[in-house]
Amino acid sequence: MKTLLTAAAIALGLASPMLAEDYPSGPVTIVVPYSPSGNTDVLARHLAPYLEAKWGQSVVIDNRPGGGSMVGTAIVSQAAPDGLTLLATTSAYVTAPAIQKDLPFDPRADLIPITNVGHVSYILVTGENGPDTLADFIESSKAEPKFAATAGLGTTTHFAIEQFIADSGADVDVVHFKGGGPAVVSILSGETDIYGSSVSSAGENLKSGKVKALAVLGNERIEVLPDVPSTKELGFDGLEIKQWVGMFAPKGTDPAIIDKINADVNEALANPEFIATVTPLDWTLDNTSPVEFAQQVDVELTKWADLAVKQGIGQ
Amino acid sequence: MELLGNAVLGLGVALSVQNLFYCFLGALLGTIVGVIPGLGVLAAISMLFPLTFSLEPTTALIMLAGIWYGTTYGGSTASILLNLPGTPANAVTCLDGFPMAQQGRGGVALFMTTVASFFGATFGILLLMLFTPVIAEYALRFGSAEYFALMLMGLVAASTISSGSALKALAMVVLGILFGLVGMDTQSATVRFSFGILGLLEGISLIALAMGIFGVAEIIMSVRRVRTADIDPETLKLKAIKPTRDDVRRSWFPMLRGSSIGSFFGTLPGTGPSIAAFLSYAIEKRLSRTPERFGNGAIEGIMGPESANNAADQTAFIPTLSLGVPGSATMALMLGVLMIHGVAPGPNLITSQPELFWGLIMSFWVGNIILLILNIPLIGLWVRMLTIPYHILYPSVLMFICIGAYSSGFSALNIWMVFFFGVLGYLMRLLQFPGAPLLLGFVLGPLMEEHFRRAMVLSRGDFMTFFERPISAVIMALTGLILLWGIWTSERGRRVETETKPADAEEAGGS
Repeated sequence: MKTLLTAAAIALGLASPMLAEDYPSGPVTIVVPYSPSGNTDVLARHLAPYLEAKWGQSVVIDNRPGGGSMVGTAIVSQAAPDGLTLLATTSAYVTAPAIQKDLPFDPRADLIPITNVGHVSYILVTGENGPDTLADFIESSKAEPKFAATAGLGTTTHFAIEQFIADSGADVDVVHFKGGGPAVVSILSGETDIYGSSVSSAGENLKSGKVKALAVLGNERIEVLPDVPSTKELGFDGLEIKQWVGMFAPKGTDPAIIDKINADVNEALANPEFIATVTPLDWTLDNTSPVEFAQQVDVELTKWADLAVKQGIGQ
Repeated sequence: MELLGNAVLGLGVALSVQNLFYCFLGALLGTIVGVIPGLGVLAAISMLFPLTFSLEPTTALIMLAGIWYGTTYGGSTASILLNLPGTPANAVTCLDGFPMAQQGRGGVALFMTTVASFFGATFGILLLMLFTPVIAEYALRFGSAEYFALMLMGLVAASTISSGSALKALAMVVLGILFGLVGMDTQSATVRFSFGILGLLEGISLIALAMGIFGVAEIIMSVRRVRTADIDPETLKLKAIKPTRDDVRRSWFPMLRGSSIGSFFGTLPGTGPSIAAFLSYAIEKRLSRTPERFGNGAIEGIMGPESANNAADQTAFIPTLSLGVPGSATMALMLGVLMIHGVAPGPNLITSQPELFWGLIMSFWVGNIILLILNIPLIGLWVRMLTIPYHILYPSVLMFICIGAYSSGFSALNIWMVFFFGVLGYLMRLLQFPGAPLLLGFVLGPLMEEHFRRAMVLSRGDFMTFFERPISAVIMALTGLILLWGIWTSERGRRVETETKPADAEEAGGS
């Protein structure tokens, strides 16, 4: 009897789709597929109060780490499509499928991209005894092969380096570390020669010259490092690689709700107070429509899958 | 002289009313989290992390650091009294702490581990104050080859930590290494032994394994064995914590050696208090003229490891603060606190943020003194815990283990793992397979593999890299010596044994 009642309740719930005007009708859970205090978690926790104020409902951050963010992502892909369970995840969403073949969800079909919240730019760095320019680096690698560090196989730092190798023809072998910390250490100690790092991860070592920035991966220079050239300036067009954080909803969510969440999140992202809090953490905030973000996700999924095949990653 | 000025500056920061309060709060919380088996420091800190958004960075760090080193103080309590390690870093303290408690010397053991903790921490803080930049520089000389050699030495040196059959101990080390293989391989993304479970991609949780093998197994063993611990009411009195002159005499060198070992491992990113504690125990046992006392309540067996893990806790801040490189997930959290407040740790932190750096370090002194004052009166209370009937005490411990395992990964899978390892641990007890070597294999195995693989990539497949790099070569030579020494002593032992056959060699087994 109880089961029947529950089933009936669920059926009724599905039969009367939630209206965007009423959204959200209850507390909203944002699943973060990483441990508390990671970059993504911190960004989501800073964002939550702005959404609470806008929606008049509590916004709860639910940490579901595991499987390199895939556990939490899978949970949201199976959640009720009422917009009350959302996902805030990183570009692991587009890189992981390139190397993990049997994911319990389809990244193209099972989740709807809502908006790209923000991104962190990467810089290519080398140690204090390394070459001064990227061209020198590529040149010297041909005389004597170099090592590149990554923060782990299949991470954005890994794909960034692989793309760089593929595009520049530099002779570089990739070595994987567990996280950005050990990767930076290997640059400091000279064990490896190049690493795609975020600015904060290179941190003080950059200012003190123990780590040298060779280039910003992307089309433009970044504000905090005005003297470092972008890879586009140096003649590499395809190296626009960023670590981003975006929000997703389960498939079947009413497009009107998606638009509303998109508008409300983007409004929070434009709040000067919010910008002031998260800018020191490396974040550049974005303003994308659901369509733009969906296109971006689609393009990147293809790009990384192709690169994984080309470079033989995770085979 | 400059150091004195800095110390005064730091003390000024650390002794402000607000910082003192948060330091006390951190130390108290740490002690509680440490005493309760299963609740780990990482889980505790990550749950409190959002609170630090609104605090000054120095204050936030002082509190979180208090939890971090407070946990290791408290962690030995349950190891000694209940044979359940409070944290994985205290697992080795069970080996001799629990027998001491069974002999009615639980109070002494608790008092002495508090002293050892304070001693180790003091040693670590002194190094932190005097040599931070130098040590950070030397830690950078340790590449993958050196780490591998070091882990190999650790495994060889510590593989005989448990008493009883050497063959069984070795089998457990190998089993531990096998458990360590579960998850995604770091260099090729090949998934091993995950059985399609996404949650296993990152491997088996250390907390779940340690709590299952040591905690749950102990609880199952106690069923039908005892109703309450039959303890002499005399041992509950405060004077029962007074160590004998012999205890004190035996403790000095283990504390000194433990502190040095701990300080060394603390500064190397990626290693940590657990490995330091294991090695300290192994070294004490090897150096002892009476190794047969180990496992039966030898005080050296608790003093070494407890000073080692606390020293490691303090020196772990060296790479974190001076290189901006976290040595562990917990240290990464501390870095996160700094970054949220716009402070970038690195070589210039000491000069650019002297209030923060020296304030934090001086707060370590304050925190350790608070812990000392806090812990000694609490001993009476903890020992009294043993008078709680086991049918009330153990189910509550079990509950905390489950909460702790869940919060270490926010996943119910961890609770199933606790269950699995609990059953395994019980079977191991029945068959007299020791648990400590398994934990050791689990902690060291994956690190060894990771560094070996990386060293191989970096040397382009040349095995000689381990013998050509000077630091690595020295460690390898030491490893060889330890191995030879082990063979020699066991040969000698066998010869003695055939002359005077002891009746109960197997009896000494257990955990």
